[in-house]
Amino acid sequence: MAAEVVAAITDIELMKASQMGMKALGAGLAVGLTGIGAGVAEMAIGSAAVGATAENKDVFGLVLLLTVIPETIVIFGLVVGLLLLF
Amino acid sequence: MLKPEQMSRLLIVASKDQMAPVISELYRHHLFHIEDFVEAGAQGYEGFKIGTPLSGASEASGDLVKIRVIQNTFSIRSDDFEVKERHNQSALQGLIERELPAIEQEVEELTGKRSKLDTKIKEYEQKIAEISPFVGIPGDLDLYRGYSNFVVFAGYVAKEVSISVPHEMFFAKGKGKNFMVVIVPAEKRIAVEGVLQEAGYQAVPIPEESGNPQGRINFYNEQIALLKKETVEINRKLDAIKEKHAGFLVACEEILKVQVEKTEAPLRFATTNETFVAEGWVPSVSVETIREGLISATGGKIFLTVLPTDPEHDSVPVEYHNPSFAKPTQMLMDVYSRPKYTEIDPTLTLSIVFPLFFGLILGDVGYGLILLAMCFGLRKFMKGADGSQLLIVLRNASISSIFFGLLFGEFLGFALPWRPVIFSRHLNIGAHSAGHGPQIPELMILAIWIGLLHITLGRVLGMINHARQDHGDHRTKAVMANFGWLAVMWGLMIVIWSIAAMPLMPDLTTLPATVMNLNSAAIVGAVLLVIGVLLIVRDSALEIVELPTIISHVLSYTRIVAVGLSSVAIAMVVNFISIGMLIEPQLGNITIIGVLLIIMGVAVFLIGQTLNLALGILGSGLHSIRLNYVEYFTKFYKGGGKKYNPFGFNRRFTED
Repeated sequence: MAAEVVAAITDIELMKASQMGMKALGAGLAVGLTGIGAGVAEMAIGSAAVGATAENKDVFGLVLLLTVIPETIVIFGLVVGLLLLF
Repeated sequence: MLKPEQMSRLLIVASKDQMAPVISELYRHHLFHIEDFVEAGAQGYEGFKIGTPLSGASEASGDLVKIRVIQNTFSIRSDDFEVKERHNQSALQGLIERELPAIEQEVEELTGKRSKLDTKIKEYEQKIAEISPFVGIPGDLDLYRGYSNFVVFAGYVAKEVSISVPHEMFFAKGKGKNFMVVIVPAEKRIAVEGVLQEAGYQAVPIPEESGNPQGRINFYNEQIALLKKETVEINRKLDAIKEKHAGFLVACEEILKVQVEKTEAPLRFATTNETFVAEGWVPSVSVETIREGLISATGGKIFLTVLPTDPEHDSVPVEYHNPSFAKPTQMLMDVYSRPKYTEIDPTLTLSIVFPLFFGLILGDVGYGLILLAMCFGLRKFMKGADGSQLLIVLRNASISSIFFGLLFGEFLGFALPWRPVIFSRHLNIGAHSAGHGPQIPELMILAIWIGLLHITLGRVLGMINHARQDHGDHRTKAVMANFGWLAVMWGLMIVIWSIAAMPLMPDLTTLPATVMNLNSAAIVGAVLLVIGVLLIVRDSALEIVELPTIISHVLSYTRIVAVGLSSVAIAMVVNFISIGMLIEPQLGNITIIGVLLIIMGVAVFLIGQTLNLALGILGSGLHSIRLNYVEYFTKFYKGGGKKYNPFGFNRRFTED
């Protein structure tokens, strides 16, 4: 009887630990994948933005704006990650 | 406040003999933004011609070019130059005539000499490079030349070659490629060339030198050393000239620049044979000062009038009109775009919101203090107008981060000895694992509240802008559409409140349910939402695709927490690795390895904290300004105003 209880308790602890692990994995995936997504999106915009700024400095504000638009994705990823962990 | 400086369009007409005094007077006031005259036959300007420069223009430009050449040689930049004394203009004028040619000649001579020496050094270095392959081969350099019956091959080969014809060969093994000299009878040349070709032979020209190769190299090295000594001497002389005349040069440049600008001003005026017309903008408050100044300068022989303006169609130059604490933030506005004349100028709001966001993100007493010290330290190096404005903006931001650092209770990632006054951002890393842990949900909701309020402010300003700028039917529609965006946002919030209870947000879930299991708040929210969408569609149906940005823009403000937390996390990890893992365990029992580990720990701490500080400043600055540029400005701000650039110049090095 006592042995069964101990086994059950360890099972529960194991389950909790693996839940935590899954959460951490999920948070990592959320941040990592969104980071890749934002990076890919920003790559093309960023290079075009630098080119445009080299031609005409006045567009800097506008192109900065365009460049950072995809960055929202990774912020969402980070938010989801934080919410998962805490 | 929230509006650019009010401008008046001024028309100045006088006879041509008054041109010089008028220009001088306008220049002195530094208020008149000249509208350049173009010969395009504009209405009322038929028959006018662009004026010709006043006398002395070409001499002044010539002198200015000379001075700038000398300044370039010495790399003197007047922007970075500290004002030591102010020169008297008339005294300086005489000095320019007398001293400038002499200085110019001296500098020209010295730089000419220096470049000659440089070419000579290059030449010798080239010779050394040519000779050096032959160092490994015994024999003087003149033995390679001057045969009529023999051919000399000198060059690199991949491996040793065997040649079947009678020959003499010298071989020097080297790293990767081997140097070889072969002397063969002239008639066997073709055969040997073939063999060498197969061995991957790369010919090396035989230097036009005589004597021992190493000896020649030593000789040229000595020569180079001598020449370098001479160059150093010349540089010393040039430095002495720079030291002596730098102040004079920047003052001269200033005077000549003023002269050139004044004498060339008529190129921007419209003229007839006897008269000239200048049109331009002045701040409305200064019209009277300019009028009085011009009348007394010309003895009343002038016609001045303020023309009626149409702010929407005239391209009115825009000058900021802000309280002095908000002035440095104008720099951040100019990076984006200067406001239009008819538009609300959001500099004031930016000057308050930017430091707040920065402080909320960085929120650390230690980093704030370091940044504050940096702002004061860098003052010496950043003297330009933009640079010093940026430093003031950063100074305000760092004060704000010290303030929020006290509230969050953070110092370089360590906890200050009191409980965080607002919400805790301490993560459970290392020694702190016993603490409460970060209050992520509360912090996030705080950020969302900030977002909601900031966006609401933006939309309200958008309504004011449309009400001011648009006309007729479109005006109402545009204003209402902005209201619609607000209605959708807040409607959505009310619906969310009625479904889920959240900390720091009104809890509307407890209201009694009415129809379809929804409570009254949910219905109010839904109605608001629908009305909002309808109002948006009424202005422009295409805007529907932008509806998701309502959510994404509000959620975007959570970056205030996310970026801040990541910076806290890095700081805590660095502290844990350096102190918790490397330094602390060694302190009880000090050994030699322990001392090494402690030194390593200190290095990790310094490098890690420096990197985190750099990341923190960059991240906090960029994200706070981005929230303003992207989430806030897009709601109301267009920009694209013309910069007010008054005729004249603030003299720094000279005075009348």
